[in-house]
Amino acid sequence: MTFPRLSPPRGLLTVLLASAAISFFLLLPSRATAASPTQVTSTPSPQPTPTLDPAVRLQRPAVSDPPTQVEEGALKYWGVCMACHGDRAQGLTDEWRTVYGEDSNCWASGCHGTHIPPWGFEIPKDRLAPAMTGAGTLARFNNAQELKDYIKETMPWWNPGSLKEDEAWAVTAYILKIRNSMPENVELGAATASAITVQYAAASHGDERPAILFFAIVIVLATLGWTAQDLLRTKRENSMSAPDEKKPIEKPNFFHHLHPPTIPAAQARLRYTLGAGGLAVFLSLILLVTGILEMFYYLPVPERAAISVQTITSLVPFGGLTRNLHFWSAQALVIVMFVHLLRVILTGAYARQRRLNYLIGLGMLAAVLLLDFTGYVLRWDEGIRWALIVGTNLLKIIPGIGHSLYQLVVGGSSPGSSSVERFYTWHIFVLTFGYIILGVWHIFRTRRDGGIAVPPPETRNGTARISRFELVRREVLMMLAAGLVLLVVSTLFPAPIEMPMTQATAELGDARAPWFFLWVQELLKLGDPFLWGVLAPIVTLILMALLPYIFPEARDSELGSWLPRGNRIAQIAAMSLILTFILLTILSTFSSAQP
Amino acid sequence: MINFSRRDFLKTITNSLFAIAGITGVSGLIRFLSYQFDAAPPTEFDIGPAVNYPPGSRTVLANIPAVIINDEAGLRAVSLVCTHLGCTIGEDLQGFACPCHGSRFDPNGRMVKGPAAKSLEKLRIEETPEGTLRVYTAQAGAT
Repeated sequence: MTFPRLSPPRGLLTVLLASAAISFFLLLPSRATAASPTQVTSTPSPQPTPTLDPAVRLQRPAVSDPPTQVEEGALKYWGVCMACHGDRAQGLTDEWRTVYGEDSNCWASGCHGTHIPPWGFEIPKDRLAPAMTGAGTLARFNNAQELKDYIKETMPWWNPGSLKEDEAWAVTAYILKIRNSMPENVELGAATASAITVQYAAASHGDERPAILFFAIVIVLATLGWTAQDLLRTKRENSMSAPDEKKPIEKPNFFHHLHPPTIPAAQARLRYTLGAGGLAVFLSLILLVTGILEMFYYLPVPERAAISVQTITSLVPFGGLTRNLHFWSAQALVIVMFVHLLRVILTGAYARQRRLNYLIGLGMLAAVLLLDFTGYVLRWDEGIRWALIVGTNLLKIIPGIGHSLYQLVVGGSSPGSSSVERFYTWHIFVLTFGYIILGVWHIFRTRRDGGIAVPPPETRNGTARISRFELVRREVLMMLAAGLVLLVVSTLFPAPIEMPMTQATAELGDARAPWFFLWVQELLKLGDPFLWGVLAPIVTLILMALLPYIFPEARDSELGSWLPRGNRIAQIAAMSLILTFILLTILSTFSSAQP
Repeated sequence: MINFSRRDFLKTITNSLFAIAGITGVSGLIRFLSYQFDAAPPTEFDIGPAVNYPPGSRTVLANIPAVIINDEAGLRAVSLVCTHLGCTIGEDLQGFACPCHGSRFDPNGRMVKGPAAKSLEKLRIEETPEGTLRVYTAQAGAT
């Protein structure tokens, strides 16, 4: 990981290119700035004097093919809402009545002008169709979700409740558009509406995909160039057996200590390590960075938590990308850790002096499962309700200490106002802190225990070794590939989010556990919850921990290759355990989640 | 002529690409962090019809905060935000006093005693077509 000091001409070119890049980004229109939210405290501003020809104002709105959500809403509004609420959502003003047509003055004729619904209706004499734009209007609604709920329930006046779900969303989107509160590039729906305020002008960000693509291309080219450059050096300098006298010895820095100077080539191959340990480090770093970024916007209070997640996802520039990266890295980390665990067992590398490190690794796995669960719960939306209730109730049924443990974890006798704060602290501080300590210890022990497990020199069939520079080069390429996959997945598949959790009793919809705990959910169907939900996972963990202590180890000469004979029983035990996990997960996926 | 080998060229391109990637990332980060979570506080306040402020009256409106003065000099609004460091100023018999650092202003808002260096800001006040008065707290330069 060495960056050569730049000599003047190269430095000059770098500065030129860098300044070109800076000007490129300065020229990009900053669409993040919100239109200035002029908010007057009481009366509405005067409506603009209509200058348009009535025929134009009554025209059917133009719609593209396929229509956008706002256009669909505009069409619905034109057909249903406009008669009373006006073409500019100005409400039933005298001016609007004259525009709409002399004999369609609903107050005089009691009919509905030129757009009479088949069953007809009378405009109520005691109510005024209110304006929906201008300061002070729609003051009772905080966000688009509340506005849509109201429209769906009470509108249209003559047939309330007749709007379909997507029609209600479309009409809401159109009203927000008129009010200048509808952000671009956002589809209004249960997963976004709570974050979109009715009162203020919307902050919009443009399409982020070109910027992400640009970044991906540049970083790929840069990394490939860097590795190629390193390759040149490795070939020229490392192939020369005589050390270069003129070259001063490089002072070792922090990065040099992460790896031994040389590594046996046979054990540094991807097909031996699977790259799982390195990938886990990479994913953890991504999780750390994206997690810190999410903290800038996440609000750990029950009323705001889900809304703030929606804000990050759909309103903050690159917030959706940040959250998706965090989500997908977290899911991938669970799988990568299991792959790493299996690799260590199936190559017999966990034994002897590495036993402690094996236990540390298991502790990290447990921490990651808890981190994934607490992170999942922090969404605090309708999707996590049952997982939260079931997951925490498992603590309650532990005999003796159950209730106090529950109190400790959840912060009350039921999930309530302090629970989000609790889970936030568990997730962001306690578990993350523990995970980092274990992780640093794990990496330190790996080097102290002699690096990657290798057979003794006399039984090795090759003496080829690679330098740590070559190892770093491979690691960087692996990170690049993993990073690209993550970036593509995060751009194409958004992390789940639903509408904020409400106190109202929701119907028991999909009560599936998060996928990494589906095996526990399947076990819970067997009977006693303490036995299957608490004891069984703990016993499983203890069994995994005892593996190096109760089963025979691989012989020294067998180390450094797959499936040694010496620890075959341990391999079979671990494989059957993992297969059981997978089987239970599959069973749970394809069976009904209903009890 | 400067000796510029193929390796140097590759290094330069690579380093430049890293620089561009870094700048791209930092620009994205800045845009991410500069999202405004809440709307800015209001800068226009409707304070009711002019008859509520008869000649000779001084009305403190705590929500702006400002004092509406109607005297021989006419109807005007004076901000109650201290020009020193932004505390809200209280009114007493001698004029205005800032509770934070002791700045004093006379009844017309002129600076009497520091540490404030400027007099209290005069706010734009207008009558809307509906007949209510509207006070603008935005800086004079911004309107």
